[in-house]
Amino acid sequence: MKLELGKIYIRDVQFAEKTYVKDGTLYVCKEEIEKLVLEDERLTGARVELARPGESVRISPVKDVIEPRVKVEGNGAVFPGVIGKVGQVGEGRTHALVGATVITCGKIVGFQEGVIDMSGPTAKYTPFSQTNNVCVVIEPADGLETHDYEAAGRMAGLKTAVYVAEAAKNLVPDEIVTYETKPLLEQIAQYPDLPKIGYVHMLQSQGLLHDTYYYGVDAKKFIPTIMYPTEIMDGAIVSGNCVAPCDKVTTYHHLNNPVIEDLYQHHGKDLNFVGVILTNENVFLADKERHSDMVAKLAKYLGLDGLLITEEGYGNPDTDLMMNCKKVTQAGVKVVIITDEFPGRDGKSYSLADAVPEADTMVSCGQGNLIVHFPPMDKLIGTMDYVESQIGGYAGCMNEDGSFDAELQIIIASTIANGFNKLAARTY
Amino acid sequence: MVTNNVRCLEKWEGKLQIDYNEEWAYLDVLLAARDYIHRGYFLLTHPLAGSVKPNQTPFKSIILSEESLEGAEDFRDLTLIEESIEAYHKFMGNRPLPEWSEKSVEDFRTIDLSLMEGVMANPIMNRR
Amino acid sequence: MAKYKIVHYINNFFSGAGGEEAAGMRPEVHEGAMGPGLALLEAFGEDYEIAATVVCGDNYFGENLEDATAELLSMIEPFKPDLFIAGPAFNAGRYGVACGTICKAVEKELGIPVLTGMYEENPGVDMFRKDLIVIKTKNSAAGMRKAVPVFKNLGEKLVKGEEILGPDIEGYLERGIRVNYFAEKRGSERAIELLVKKCRGEECPTEYPMPKFDRVEPTAPVTDMAHTKIAIVTSGGIVPQGNPDHIESSSATKYGIYSIAGMERMDKKDFMTVHGGYDRAFVTEDPNLVIPLDVLREMEKEGVIGELADYFITTTGTGTATGNAKAFGEDFVGKLKEDGIGAVILTST
Repeated sequence: MKLELGKIYIRDVQFAEKTYVKDGTLYVCKEEIEKLVLEDERLTGARVELARPGESVRISPVKDVIEPRVKVEGNGAVFPGVIGKVGQVGEGRTHALVGATVITCGKIVGFQEGVIDMSGPTAKYTPFSQTNNVCVVIEPADGLETHDYEAAGRMAGLKTAVYVAEAAKNLVPDEIVTYETKPLLEQIAQYPDLPKIGYVHMLQSQGLLHDTYYYGVDAKKFIPTIMYPTEIMDGAIVSGNCVAPCDKVTTYHHLNNPVIEDLYQHHGKDLNFVGVILTNENVFLADKERHSDMVAKLAKYLGLDGLLITEEGYGNPDTDLMMNCKKVTQAGVKVVIITDEFPGRDGKSYSLADAVPEADTMVSCGQGNLIVHFPPMDKLIGTMDYVESQIGGYAGCMNEDGSFDAELQIIIASTIANGFNKLAARTY
Repeated sequence: MVTNNVRCLEKWEGKLQIDYNEEWAYLDVLLAARDYIHRGYFLLTHPLAGSVKPNQTPFKSIILSEESLEGAEDFRDLTLIEESIEAYHKFMGNRPLPEWSEKSVEDFRTIDLSLMEGVMANPIMNRR
Repeated sequence: MAKYKIVHYINNFFSGAGGEEAAGMRPEVHEGAMGPGLALLEAFGEDYEIAATVVCGDNYFGENLEDATAELLSMIEPFKPDLFIAGPAFNAGRYGVACGTICKAVEKELGIPVLTGMYEENPGVDMFRKDLIVIKTKNSAAGMRKAVPVFKNLGEKLVKGEEILGPDIEGYLERGIRVNYFAEKRGSERAIELLVKKCRGEECPTEYPMPKFDRVEPTAPVTDMAHTKIAIVTSGGIVPQGNPDHIESSSATKYGIYSIAGMERMDKKDFMTVHGGYDRAFVTEDPNLVIPLDVLREMEKEGVIGELADYFITTTGTGTATGNAKAFGEDFVGKLKEDGIGAVILTST
């Protein structure tokens, strides 16, 4: 599969009568987005607000972040099986509004949504302080059931992103990057002397508010499978979960998966990037055993020399991570795992909820228990009503002036366990 | 099922053998599961399923079985439950469970119940 | 400007009172610096003074942890020090445990910064590294010269509340505290670079080591307990009254073998515990809690077990170096085999 990703760089976002892009500025029509979102009768309120890098703006509680992308050439449409029709994606050309995002926020049960600060001392922990964000604040209909509300929120974000991305369809990209992975035997033959490397992408799939979708299929219901890396760039994977904000893999992070991106950078130089194995993080131990067996089987079947494994979440997924690492290693494939850490407030406890000796090479995405201070901001998008009960917050953490203290966990994607950020932890 | 969530009891009483105690804290559910494991039961669901951290939610439900569904290694379940108990103490030591409002408590019951509904819908449950 | 005050803790040996023969000495307080404190005083310079040196025998400390700590605290407190330094203990195990214990107590009770130093294999290191800054020293007092400037730098930083950097930079032993930082490259890139190295068989250092898995494969279960001879081995510090072989209350260097022939239960008149790592009150009252002789005799009578060996093997687990513990086992396993023991019950505390 070969995909050309046409990048249109966005440096500013403004409201306008219609939605379009000109000279690096994304203009969005507020009314059209609000109308689009309110087509869903489960939602009774929708308000669009803008947040730009450096502004004194706080966004909370954030559900999902999405980069606007549109299919320009080739089969299928972005977010197949969810927004677009079910159909193979990953080939042809796709345009992306790089530097712009759609962010959904608003009240929800679960308290597992986070905060984004566009400036100040905590801005450096989230990638979305550097993007121009179109924020959609949603309100559920009275008495709307939790799952329905989650689903409505997810669709609102995706629909808005698809709507905004239409503006990119007929533009000439600032840069075109070509990604290509050939059918297995050809791919192996292309660089026969380089180590054959794969990537095990573990999708959050514990149920209620912890689901991820592949072509619209609930990830907890599939068995491990093989994916061309370019599929993910067209939105084959959509986030539908609200785990701890810090290690949430947003839809943006699926579209811009850093392991896939960097493996392509190394492809043909010091390694041969063969493909991606998708697996899940179910709650049944039988599922975990079966699926880690299958991951190891696929790794062996693909003839891999080494692979990387990433997880999403803490606790339950740590067991999948360790089972995968152990079984793949025992199958004779070299493994490096990437994850974040929760060593307690004093940083002294063991960081993960499970461990195996085979996990001897790990990359850290930082520890989420660190307490950080959030100064007051001039503008709030969303609500601060839940801060004390959001993960990382605590009773009494909020001050009169709008400032608060909370664990790093509360910031969206601050310790995301796929290596997207530069944050890491080391031992003192 | 060992649980401290009354809504799980209401939903599956008579269908599952349920060890329910209203007074139990999250930790007590873990300890009860541990005791079952020592008596020869196997974990069906991961003790930390849900990824809501132990100092966040008061509720926990764990399903065990007298028969193992998979050829698990010896001590796997015991290691898992002990690690979970350790994780519980780590997070509670960090910051104890907040005094939730009844509305929030009910939300957490819902979260736990829904997680278990997902679990009960899994075909694995038909194998018993 | 008033000088910053330091109180320094040293053991019997470094105070010049003597070695093993003086290890039982009770806590003492001396005004000013003495022994290794003189080198510290010189290094810290004129802004600092060593107001007092407190001394205690290693054995006295080890055998009377709580009392010794309380006595020492009451001696240290009146000087209102700004900094407390213990040792360095180099590779002396009991001294290391004493330094760690008193430092932890001073930090907690007096709320002032504390510093100690040890050789990395000192059993005190593993007991206290997470709680304290333990300066990395050589394994003997010959390493004092190199340790002194490290004490000075860290001591000054602590007193002034300056940021303490990483262990390699500052010269202390890694504490096992996970601290965030921003790396030069993002995680995915670092992981890929590590994987390429791993595939090439090159060194690929992990960013987070898994806990040590020093697991022993269990042997096959005993199939016929009714015909098996059982022995009890404990790290719970149970010894005959008076501790005839002077087994240490922590960081043990020896074990003992003691008779239980003809006894129906462990009588508190005959046995005591010297273990320094737990509240001894219950076991002092009823040693069967650690050596369950009463229950085992019943099982013997009922025929549940074949026979009970007429002795038990004992040592103190707390602070005991893994190397020592391993050596004890290798040493006494021969006797167990000779005596036809088919299984042992290991009790801890």
